[in-house]
Amino acid sequence: MKKNNIEGWLFVSPLVIWICLIILVPIYIAFELSLFNVKIIGTSGKFVGIDNYIKLLGKSKFLNASLNSLYWIIGNAICQTFFAFTIALTINYKFPGKKIMANWIILSFIIPTVVVVVIWKLMLSSSSGVINSVLIDIGLLDEATGFFSSPNKAFLSLVLINSWRWSPFLALIILSGLNSINREMYDASKVDGANFIQQFFFITFPNLKSVLFVLGLVGTLLSFNIFDIIWLITKGGPSSATTTLPLLIYETAFTKFRISQAATLSIITSLLLLLFSIIFIKSMAPKEDD
Amino acid sequence: MIKENNIKFIFLSLSLFLIILIFFFPFFWIITSSFKSPEEIIATSTTIIPRSFTLEHYNKILFNSDFFIYLKNSLIVSFSSMIISIILSVSAAYGLHKLKFYGNKFVEYSLLVTYAFPGVILLVPIYLLFAKVNLLNSYFALIIVNVLFATPFAVWMLKAFFKLIPNEIEEAAYIDGASRYIVISRIIVPLAAPGIASVAIFCFIISWTEYLFASILISGDNLKTLPVGLAGIVGQYQIDWGFLLSGAVLASLPVILLFVFIGKYFVSGLTEGAVK
Amino acid sequence: MNKILLFFITILFSLNAYAVTNVTFWHMEGVPHRVDRIQTLIDEFNSANPDINVTQEVQNWGEIYAKAPASVAAGTAPEILVGIPDFTPILADMGAAQPVEDFVSELDSKYGFYQKALDQYTYNGHTWAVPLWNMGLSLWYRKSDFEAAGIEPPKTWSDLKKAAKALTKDGVYGIGLPGNKQLYTDQTIYSFMVNSGAEEIYNSDGTLRFDNPQTVAAYDVYKELYQYSAPDAANWTWGEAEACFASKGCAMILQFTVISTYDSQAGGDASDLGVIQIPYANGKAHRAGTVSYVNSAMIMTADEAKMEASKKFLSFLMEPGNYGRFINMEPGLFLPITEAGSQDSTYWDDPVVVKYKSQVETMLDNSTRGSLFGFTNGNTFTSISSISAQNLLAQTLQLTLIDGKSAKDAVSEGMEIMTEAIE
Repeated sequence: MKKNNIEGWLFVSPLVIWICLIILVPIYIAFELSLFNVKIIGTSGKFVGIDNYIKLLGKSKFLNASLNSLYWIIGNAICQTFFAFTIALTINYKFPGKKIMANWIILSFIIPTVVVVVIWKLMLSSSSGVINSVLIDIGLLDEATGFFSSPNKAFLSLVLINSWRWSPFLALIILSGLNSINREMYDASKVDGANFIQQFFFITFPNLKSVLFVLGLVGTLLSFNIFDIIWLITKGGPSSATTTLPLLIYETAFTKFRISQAATLSIITSLLLLLFSIIFIKSMAPKEDD
Repeated sequence: MIKENNIKFIFLSLSLFLIILIFFFPFFWIITSSFKSPEEIIATSTTIIPRSFTLEHYNKILFNSDFFIYLKNSLIVSFSSMIISIILSVSAAYGLHKLKFYGNKFVEYSLLVTYAFPGVILLVPIYLLFAKVNLLNSYFALIIVNVLFATPFAVWMLKAFFKLIPNEIEEAAYIDGASRYIVISRIIVPLAAPGIASVAIFCFIISWTEYLFASILISGDNLKTLPVGLAGIVGQYQIDWGFLLSGAVLASLPVILLFVFIGKYFVSGLTEGAVK
Repeated sequence: MNKILLFFITILFSLNAYAVTNVTFWHMEGVPHRVDRIQTLIDEFNSANPDINVTQEVQNWGEIYAKAPASVAAGTAPEILVGIPDFTPILADMGAAQPVEDFVSELDSKYGFYQKALDQYTYNGHTWAVPLWNMGLSLWYRKSDFEAAGIEPPKTWSDLKKAAKALTKDGVYGIGLPGNKQLYTDQTIYSFMVNSGAEEIYNSDGTLRFDNPQTVAAYDVYKELYQYSAPDAANWTWGEAEACFASKGCAMILQFTVISTYDSQAGGDASDLGVIQIPYANGKAHRAGTVSYVNSAMIMTADEAKMEASKKFLSFLMEPGNYGRFINMEPGLFLPITEAGSQDSTYWDDPVVVKYKSQVETMLDNSTRGSLFGFTNGNTFTSISSISAQNLLAQTLQLTLIDGKSAKDAVSEGMEIMTEAIE
């Protein structure tokens, strides 16, 4: 196909301008703030150059939050991949009620985050939560446990809640990828004696590459950015165990009132994510086949 | 062969059971709980099948709170965000994938990478920016932000649907003397309609569920969206679970209703659209 | 067409409203019946004062710390902002909250603020907000539980430990104590500190004296009691504690009030509901006190006319006859902050207050002896905001409850964190 430079840009530019305005201007404001030592937003501060950056890199809080973010991304990736593939592969089979399930599996994705929080806060409550009482009834627990009471349990519970929210949507995207795989490939492999596990690894998985590329990129960035679920449930606790970088930024800006430090954190975080995206794209981007 | 079918059957039933338990049961529990008496909700012996039935929570929320105002605001914001997102992303996706131009790969990836800037980072600068141009406390403030969150992924989804449309159809139209506008409005959009519909729903959902920006950019009660309104009607020092649960159900109901009518297009649009 | 019409209507309206002073009133009491009550009072005020137009805008506690400073920076701040003591220093530092000592002493001479009410808003030579109502932590229990266990309600810490142990049984936690890094936990741990003589966080020169044996003693007893608390207490705020008490899952809790939940969700037997002063460290009866939170209104405008209008509205709220109705937007939670207010018949006439009169009297009595960390004996420094906004008392507590450090180590590490925070 021939190139249509002017027309192409014309079609793309409304969106590109929209996004640039709303992202670049704020990023510039944040960058400017990061060079001063403003404490409360709206007050003035002294120009300190790159001081904030130098100080920040030595802070244990920053390291701790970065690690939490890393675990958060990995934990979510594992959980969501597992749930999403289970759902997608299951719905891909024929069974009674398949249509209804396929239509409604998305339920957890379409409700407001605030509702997700209400649901799981009550479900996981140790005094009136159904999960504790069922686990006790079937003998898995002796007494009610607090799902947010220790650092590890709180972290894991949040990963599961967040995965509960996102997996069904991912499943549908994967399902669309599955549907695009040529049926004949499965039939041919059956003739060759491949079982369904082999089929998954040799046909299904490779054919989903381009879907998985985008999900890998966008999914990682999106789960990195999750703020409201964590904020509304644990506020980053207990003992900062669930303080990921977005929470640390919010905390630094609005409970510590160190807006310049928060801006510094923001800029570093954005750079890290950009770096990740570039590496990810360079190394994983599928070759265009058209 | 029989053996493999058995294994498949066991796998299938097991995963079906898990999916229903994990992804559907919470809704059953929350909905039934919202009709329970306050005592039963907070009781230490949790009941799965309700023993009491009351409409008091719904009564309270429907007639004693600004629920309908919040609902109206959410609908206005979500619909407007959806329409603007769709116009912008259809145009961009068409430009990116049907009109190859210099830098299109760069734009395509850059769009996805916009998610690299966490919302939290943008919060304060956007507040200050909007204050300068007098956009605080307006629907448009929320729409601007929602479009930002929805479009990058929307463009990527649309690309897949556009790819399915054979170039020959378009080229035939041009030979017949059709303009670009005619081709897009008469050929591309109708052919990609199921896909566009599901992308539209995606945009709607993103706006419907947004909390952080809506809570900061709006301060008047008459402009609050449902999630923010819901978070606000709960007092700081008490939790009225019945009130909260019925609020949660009601805040989800509009999207669920939407799904009753168009859910199957969303799912089939997505899954049969063959995202590649 | 519509837009043009709207434009003209707006112009007409603003011409008509030429002499009207607009006052925006931000508060965080978003529960619908509280909003309604405030609206009723606003309507009465507006119709009595045609030259002033007050409107309320309800905010959420969760975001107000971000939103209020941002609104000041952007020039969109309200004229009146309701807040709690830890929040005021921030807005005072920004130059947003206006000094109101003259206005407050005028109100004081009319209605008589309780002696400790102004401590929480007076520093740097000014009074920064108008106290509106008070809240104080008390210990709540069911009388029947104590009778069944054959013990008396606790007065001292050792009584309290005994009671917590005795009341713990299958499915019931002896005492519900939060372990969250959150304001509620700050309040509960501080209520222990007050009762062991560690209420002072600052020395008079602005340095910290948090790390002292009395503080350690308070953290120690808290840790000991925490084992009788519910497993998910590490994630509790006020509501969960109250629900635990209402469902009989917790035998005792420290709380501002449980009245409305107890009344609507737990049968509401007023004669069985017990409330007492927070127990004190053995031998420290003279220290007996609690943590109190005086909620207040900051005036955020320097504009003469708007300031006058705001004061007029606040005077209206403080006036007996209005005041009782105002703080009874949530009966049994908000307590009078003035002598005159505590005798206002519109306060005592509310059916809930009538039903739980003896409990409310005890709450009121406790609250007048309440103090707040960082706002004691004039040793107040605006840096306290950094300690309270980050919930460092609670964070210190987590060091011992969750990370398993000894109370002594936790307090000394907490002191380091606080010292860094106030720099």
